Amino acid sequence: MTINSVVCPDLGRWRAWLDNADGTARFDDHLASCPACQRAVADLRQDAATAGAAIASLPVHAVSKAEHDLARERLTWRLREPTAIRRSAPLRRSTTGLRVAAGSVAAAVLVSVIVAFTPEGRTAAAAFLAQFRSRQVVAIEVSPQSQEAIMRTFSSLNDLGAVQSPRGGMQAAPGQVTVADAGRLIGFPVQTPDPAVLPAGLDRTPRVQVIPAGQMRFTFDKAKAQRYLQSRGQPQVNLPDKFNGASLVVSTPAAAMLEYSSRDSHQSLIIGQAGEIVVDVQGQVTLDEMRDFLLGLPGLPKSATDQLRQIKSWTQTLPVPVPIDKVNWTSVNFQGRHQGLLLNDNSGLGSVAIWNDGGHMLAVAGSLKANDLKVVADSLAVR
Amino acid sequence: MATVLKVASTTTVDRFDALFTLFYPQLFGLVYRVLGDRMETEDTLQETFLKLADEPQLQSRPDPEVSAWLRRVSLNLAFNRIRSERRASARTERAARLEPSALHESDGVERREQQEDVRRALAELPQRQRECLLLRHSGYSYVEIAATLEIALGSVGVLLGRAERAFSVIYRRHAQA
Repeated sequence: MTINSVVCPDLGRWRAWLDNADGTARFDDHLASCPACQRAVADLRQDAATAGAAIASLPVHAVSKAEHDLARERLTWRLREPTAIRRSAPLRRSTTGLRVAAGSVAAAVLVSVIVAFTPEGRTAAAAFLAQFRSRQVVAIEVSPQSQEAIMRTFSSLNDLGAVQSPRGGMQAAPGQVTVADAGRLIGFPVQTPDPAVLPAGLDRTPRVQVIPAGQMRFTFDKAKAQRYLQSRGQPQVNLPDKFNGASLVVSTPAAAMLEYSSRDSHQSLIIGQAGEIVVDVQGQVTLDEMRDFLLGLPGLPKSATDQLRQIKSWTQTLPVPVPIDKVNWTSVNFQGRHQGLLLNDNSGLGSVAIWNDGGHMLAVAGSLKANDLKVVADSLAVR
Repeated sequence: MATVLKVASTTTVDRFDALFTLFYPQLFGLVYRVLGDRMETEDTLQETFLKLADEPQLQSRPDPEVSAWLRRVSLNLAFNRIRSERRASARTERAARLEPSALHESDGVERREQQEDVRRALAELPQRQRECLLLRHSGYSYVEIAATLEIALGSVGVLLGRAERAFSVIYRRHAQA
């Protein structure tokens, strides 16, 4: 279309003109004298208004600092997975509570390595010693800064020796099994909740999976450690010769996971049951030496190591790191007789219960209020 | 939007953290508009930043280039999720349960249906049109849109105009159905 020997601006220029994004003033005179462009601009204006109003109806959500920090922490954990596993295993969401539980348990396994070397353990120096078994749980409060420091310190283990996971860690076994089969696979009968106390809307029949046992072995390499410590400006941190070849072995037991979901999968309750986490030492290093070295690693926060040292029954106590900026916690009795932890996500979206029942670790997580979750936890029994 | 594109830390160790801190909040706002669900939004952004972690060369590029890449990847992932009708249905109901503050009790159902109409209409548009539309009406400049979509600055207007036309037709059809 042309008028007065001037070529009409195209659709794109008029659209930009509406947004004052393209030398707007120079088209004003043309528009005033061009009926075709007036119709085109009117249509563009109406379409823009329709689309703008529709998109404005989509709610916005400003991410809070706690959500930001939690997402960053979760990303850190995922980045620690081998790249091949990350790429082949898409993220699967269950509940906020489960996320907290998973993070806590994973961190607890790492921190338990340190627990094994607290001062009370200085008596033995045998070639193979079962140092630690998770018979009870205790909360270790950690600040965001401490979490970062702990994770950073443990990530440096790779620089002090070799980390191996010969049995594959926490990959879930394919397919579902029955509750009875799960009990056979993990070595003891699986407890189930009273169906009457499950939240409305959840299926009464759980989806049952078994996560196989795993093992992480860390073996010191003196030459590698010395190179790393020198590169970090820590040449004074000396690793004695006898550390060379000494190993820490963290064994995680097979675990049964019962998932109760609603029909449309937007709500779920997870119940996990497993045997004990065991930490062993292999080699000729004394516990004192091992403890002194590990607790002297650069960057480990004093607040965390102080809490670990205060655990009296350290050989039987699994410390559960509780991020104090995100989770409230209380120490309560479950099933009327087992001391454990009840964690409540500050966002109000999820809670977690963790306790030990006669050598078996139990955890319940879900998008419930802590009191409601505890009712489910208390109802667990072999049926 | 341009005001937030300040220079992040340039040390290698801190670069990824700086990018996360700088861009996670604004990406969250953008992707949440697409998905309407905090958990799905967070999952989408986790996948986005995991992809970024695998791109060390990209991380060293200037902030505007990285942010454009992050927007492009996160929107692709978000619309991949929304294309599933089953997920859309579940998301609507989950939004009702977990995001009550975003809606008033009295008009919650009607507004949720309207929002789903908007998301479905967006999902039916060609990829570049829907991303252009969403970015523009979420406050992004023509320069930022051009960088995100990897098109010439002068092409933004025509793409946007066509997107708004197509969206209006599809949206009215959904609303009348």
